[in-house]
Amino acid sequence: MRRTIVALTILCLALLLIGSAAVAQDKVKIGVSIPSATHGWTGGVNYWARVTQERLQATYPNLEIILVTAGSAAEQANTLEDLYAIHNIDALVILPFESDPLTDPVDMLKQQGVFITVVDRGLTRAGIEDIYVAGDNPGMGRVSAEYMVEALGGKGDIVILRGIPTVIDNQRFDAFMEVIAETEINVLDWQYAYWNRDDGFEVMQDFLARFPKIDAVWAQDDDIALGVIEAVKQAGREEELFIVGGAGMKEMIKRVMDGDRLIPVDVLYPPNMIATAMEVTALRYVSNAAILGHYILDATLVTPENAHLYYFPDSPF
Amino acid sequence: MAELAMQTIKICKSYGTVPVLFDVDFELKKGEIHALIGENGAGKSTLVKILAGYHQQASGELLRRGKPVTYPNTGAAEADGVVMIHQEFNLANDLTVEENIFLGKEIMRRGFLDKAAMRQRSAEILQNLGTTINPRARVKDLSVSDKQMVEIAKALALNSEVLIMDEPTAVLTAGEIDVLFKIIRALRDHGVSIVYISHKLHEVKALADRVTVLRDGHRICTERASELNEDDMARLMVGRELSTLFPPKGQAPHRSAPVLEVQKISCPRYVQNASFQLYAGEVLGFAGLIGAGRTELMECVVGLRRRSSGTVLYRGKPLSARSYGDAIRNRIVYLSEDRKGKGLFTSMPLAPNVTILSLHEHLTRFGFLDGRKEEATLDQTIEEFDVRIPSKRALVSMLSGGNQQKIALGKLMQVEPDIVILDEPTRGIDVGTKQQVYYFIRELAERGKSCILISSELPEIVGLSDRVIVMRSGVVMGELTGEEVNEEEIMLYATGVKGGMAG
Amino acid sequence: MNQEAATGWAKVKELGSRISWQDVGPLIAVFALMVLGTAINPTFLSMGNLTNVFTRSAFTGIIAIGATFVIGTGSIDLSVGSMAAFNSGVMIIFMNYLVQHWGATWATVTAAMALSLLLGAAGGLVNGLVITKGRIESFIVTLGTMGIFRSLVTYLANGGTLSLNLPVRGLYRPVYYGTFLKIPIPLIIFCLVAMVGAVLMYKTRFGRYVLAIGSSYHVAHYSAINVNRIRVLTYILQGICVAIATIIYVPRLGSASGTTGYGWELEAIAAVIIGGTAMKGGTAKILGTVAGAIIFSIIGNILNLSDAISQYLNGAVQGLIIIGAVLVQRTSKE
Repeated sequence: MRRTIVALTILCLALLLIGSAAVAQDKVKIGVSIPSATHGWTGGVNYWARVTQERLQATYPNLEIILVTAGSAAEQANTLEDLYAIHNIDALVILPFESDPLTDPVDMLKQQGVFITVVDRGLTRAGIEDIYVAGDNPGMGRVSAEYMVEALGGKGDIVILRGIPTVIDNQRFDAFMEVIAETEINVLDWQYAYWNRDDGFEVMQDFLARFPKIDAVWAQDDDIALGVIEAVKQAGREEELFIVGGAGMKEMIKRVMDGDRLIPVDVLYPPNMIATAMEVTALRYVSNAAILGHYILDATLVTPENAHLYYFPDSPF
Repeated sequence: MAELAMQTIKICKSYGTVPVLFDVDFELKKGEIHALIGENGAGKSTLVKILAGYHQQASGELLRRGKPVTYPNTGAAEADGVVMIHQEFNLANDLTVEENIFLGKEIMRRGFLDKAAMRQRSAEILQNLGTTINPRARVKDLSVSDKQMVEIAKALALNSEVLIMDEPTAVLTAGEIDVLFKIIRALRDHGVSIVYISHKLHEVKALADRVTVLRDGHRICTERASELNEDDMARLMVGRELSTLFPPKGQAPHRSAPVLEVQKISCPRYVQNASFQLYAGEVLGFAGLIGAGRTELMECVVGLRRRSSGTVLYRGKPLSARSYGDAIRNRIVYLSEDRKGKGLFTSMPLAPNVTILSLHEHLTRFGFLDGRKEEATLDQTIEEFDVRIPSKRALVSMLSGGNQQKIALGKLMQVEPDIVILDEPTRGIDVGTKQQVYYFIRELAERGKSCILISSELPEIVGLSDRVIVMRSGVVMGELTGEEVNEEEIMLYATGVKGGMAG
Repeated sequence: MNQEAATGWAKVKELGSRISWQDVGPLIAVFALMVLGTAINPTFLSMGNLTNVFTRSAFTGIIAIGATFVIGTGSIDLSVGSMAAFNSGVMIIFMNYLVQHWGATWATVTAAMALSLLLGAAGGLVNGLVITKGRIESFIVTLGTMGIFRSLVTYLANGGTLSLNLPVRGLYRPVYYGTFLKIPIPLIIFCLVAMVGAVLMYKTRFGRYVLAIGSSYHVAHYSAINVNRIRVLTYILQGICVAIATIIYVPRLGSASGTTGYGWELEAIAAVIIGGTAMKGGTAKILGTVAGAIIFSIIGNILNLSDAISQYLNGAVQGLIIIGAVLVQRTSKE
């Protein structure tokens, strides 16, 4: 027992020593911490982060951008410590896995004088971040609902497939429900589909078996929507309903562009918001522009008319 | 008359539909050593398990200090001072000796383990037992006999008044047995009552005050040990005369070319440079103390254990050093001393156990397993070896030790072996079955097969072997034939007084 | 006549004594769940819904048949879900490549199926060899390969989703959505795999050796069974089952990503255990495994068919039903 404690103490000391042996530097270092690519949208985030990293480093030789990914909130907190202790970063751009568990780790860096840019998911305490860049989650729900009200003429039966139980998901859902509350649109049922195609497929299969008449589906996310499409096709009910997804996946934008009856529109929640955040943060070090504050990207409704503006065939998302 | 520590009145018990105890009356006085003997399956284990709370009787009464009691579980019995020491070890292998001794009854101080107190108490108990076991050693690193001592220490730590011992000496050396007997007698003199189960009748004769004989679930008699000799006990157990325990040896086998020639086998830590020959039609005994390397040597011979050097020739051709399968194909089989750990799939039914070595002979035309053929083989084995089973679908674990051993032998016989290597074939089985095994071995030899017998019981080696090889610390010390095959001579070699690098 | 009736009755009794409750238990649980489903929403019994439910059980069901062998030896394979994802990804890339040369033909699809089987067998071989030759716990090895396969597919997909070329999808689609004699093809394949599995397990030497090893590793070794070889074979078999599941999974959505097959390993293992196979090995209930996979699928379905329960509690209800299903079969033994 005593030996174990001694060994642990030595290990801790050794780690501290290594940590404090950070080297002096002359370049401006920006750390970028994002979730690893576990589903379509985060895949897009990874893609845009890499592309932007290369572009910024090529344009501004005095910038060094360190990109790290994490598979969970706890792992992300660890990478933050590494970014500060090993790389001694000047600025941090972070898309937090979850808001709550990462608030304190980010605040710690803030205390050390690191410039903080938070993306997509806000921290639970105000005043930590210098810049906040996000998609408009309530807006996404609202825009989807408004389109649906219009397309259905204010009445009809719909089903909803939600994402993963999180703050984002709640914001989208609540805003959506608020809009349709004043209409005659009836929500037959909703279920979580975990932003995942297979779950989207299975949940929709069951909705189709259960409800003989469905006028529209709010799938909230393009991955879910792709599963929903297959289930609808299998049941041969393509003529009966339409689907509204969200995010801006290239396959879905393409369908909108091509005038697919099943997918008339899409609502943007673009993964390249990470690029926006990185660009804005970099500007602080290469220009005199005033850049503190909140940047909210619109939840734009993508229609066949404007779809070509949002179609990036090279992106994996 | 001494006070009764425990008593059973007309106890009956069955497992499923198989009755195992019929109206058994049993009395245990305070401060006596009471031996319980009988063939395997006679009901000894069941009776003591009822005493210790493992089982509950179907009918009849259990009395403790003259008052009726029921023990719903072993904890209740232990709390009442009745403790059983198991035949199979009930130790946590990865814990230390002292942790095992106090397992489930740890001494606490202010909510934490009082390790110092437990260490001191363990040391005391072990010292009283006269062993040199380190209380901080891990149980898995101990020898079998030391594990037995730990089991006993565990029981003593409970301050028990009734101690039940099920074959405590099966794995002990002669020296250790002497120590154990001293301890048992000392316990008796302190007023502890001891129920002692053993198949070794000379031990019973030497140790017990009284003897109760069970046969087929009935109590046959209870006598003072001084009034019975070993022959009487054996006769009472079996219910018939055991005129000749060992079959008569045949003619000295004709030695032509050896069937098996083992040359200079070494296996690090266990065997050094061991060589011997085996001839057709003979029983070759391997004697030695526990740990002499006999098991390891045989495992090397059949390819179950890696050897560092040496060759094995079967009828002039080399055998694979790495594959027991190769030995089996050449009709050489090995019966492990560890019946439950290595010999039989105890959690499986009987038929798959008997046919596992010979599945290729139990196939349909299309190459699938043929359940009917397997069942036929089982029937044949049951008949041939006179196996007593509760049902054909019973699991091996439901059989008594002797019947398990018959199944294990039946399994080996399926490959129609030419050479049979038997490692402690009579360990833990009753006299009647022992005799059957002895006749079986002799019959094999008479049919021209060869048999190697490893045994730690000298009477067995002497009674059966045509020739004896004695090993000591991994080395072949000598070979004895004819008149030399006697216990004294073997001990001289086994203890290193005689012999050297022979063969 | 009388005598015939008597022997007939004796045969029935004999059969009755042969069927143990442990074998029937999972089927009773399936039946109980079906009654529950119907009570909650009569739609449950509609042909369309039942077809959906049984078809969905095919993926994890087929994988679970393989897992029954691995678990039968007392080992475990955690990598199956990731392996399915990796296999799907490679199949899609391979077909997208072949289509440039061979066009959207059955040759393209068949070649990809063959590749999937090969990959599955190879993946199983690697798992098996590392476990046996490296003498490492199967839990650790397959936990490792689970991560490896999962990140390989994420790497192949560039973090996004791999999508199958549309004309090939059209051709390949009936493998999931098609029917034969009104029975969905995945279900037919599931039944075939289960039957082959049952024959292998109960009627061949291989199956006997699997159970022998699970019953006791040492006794198997002392019974001249090549323990390592059999264990490697069980992993190869598991890999092939994963490949078969992949072959019917890919045409469903025509895509693969880092989340494909997520959690399938746990579902497959749970299906095996619910079915009455012991985690420590030595017993194996193929029919039980089939029932276990179906139970999983039914639970998900029932939850989607009802709005009596808050969606937030879905996980809890699922957990309760699993435990309940096992209790039903364990207690019905007595």
